[in-house]
Amino acid sequence: MKLNAIGLLFGIGFGGVLASFDLHEYDTIHAMLRLDEFRVYFFMASAIAVSAPLLWWLEARKTNTPFGGQLRLSQSKPQKHHVQGGALFGVGWAIAGTCPAPALVMVSSGAWLGLVAMAGIFLGLQLREMQQATPDHVGDGEHREINLEVKA
Amino acid sequence: MVDVFSGDLAWYFAGPALGLLIVGLFALVNQPLGASGAYVQTASMAKRRSGVVTWRVWYFIGIFVGGSIVTGVLGSTAEFRPGYDALTDVFPLPVVVLMVFAGATLLGYGAAVAGGCTSGHGMCGTAQRSPASVTVTATFMATAIATTFVLRLLTGGEL
Repeated sequence: MKLNAIGLLFGIGFGGVLASFDLHEYDTIHAMLRLDEFRVYFFMASAIAVSAPLLWWLEARKTNTPFGGQLRLSQSKPQKHHVQGGALFGVGWAIAGTCPAPALVMVSSGAWLGLVAMAGIFLGLQLREMQQATPDHVGDGEHREINLEVKA
Repeated sequence: MVDVFSGDLAWYFAGPALGLLIVGLFALVNQPLGASGAYVQTASMAKRRSGVVTWRVWYFIGIFVGGSIVTGVLGSTAEFRPGYDALTDVFPLPVVVLMVFAGATLLGYGAAVAGGCTSGHGMCGTAQRSPASVTVTATFMATAIATTFVLRLLTGGEL
């Protein structure tokens, strides 16, 4: 229950930040990828600049997280699927002008084409799943989703 | 005044705020603030699969709620509209629908192959200094910028 509330709250925070920065608008992403505007790059860089040292510090002091055990950062080595998937993702991102979280915010802001984008994202994820007998790394960046329900 | 609700919050507020959310989720749950995984879990729940990571579904709902709060409840930028202003200026609506659907399918597939998207790999993965995430991020930034310039050429500079 508590874990679900944490999920909801962090979702609200994430969606709110994306909306406050207009990242759900095609024009924002398009201007960024056309290299007309650099504010999104500054946004991404400052988010990483704030989180990277804090994460490193939390890991170094062997922080025990309340819901996920000891904090462990991913240090996966690059493999072929990372380059292949990344390349396809980039092409799709440029054409659709959105990515998974901003597409959701797009719909919440009343732009109905966001529903078309969300449908495509669901289909793309599903196509990959159908291609494989056993789904590989399903989850998030470094798809390391572990089932936390037992602890919740 | 810091204007949070008009969509043009300064990057030096929005970026660090996102950084703190990333740190907060890691500190509590030891998981990245990624989005493609939330789609996967939500789809699994819709298919009534077992082993659904329920909090990711709540997180998925939360992203929608957070977007609604900022654009609609507290802000005034939400309205019923197609969206995709710059794209609908160049192409007729049916073409835009096809482009958005095809592009989104491609990025969904790519995110599944790569194991994450802009948030999972691009933000959280690079913040963890994961070599795999840095590789994914550099690759998708390069192909996205290249694709944008190809589209620009194909439309004679209109897009």
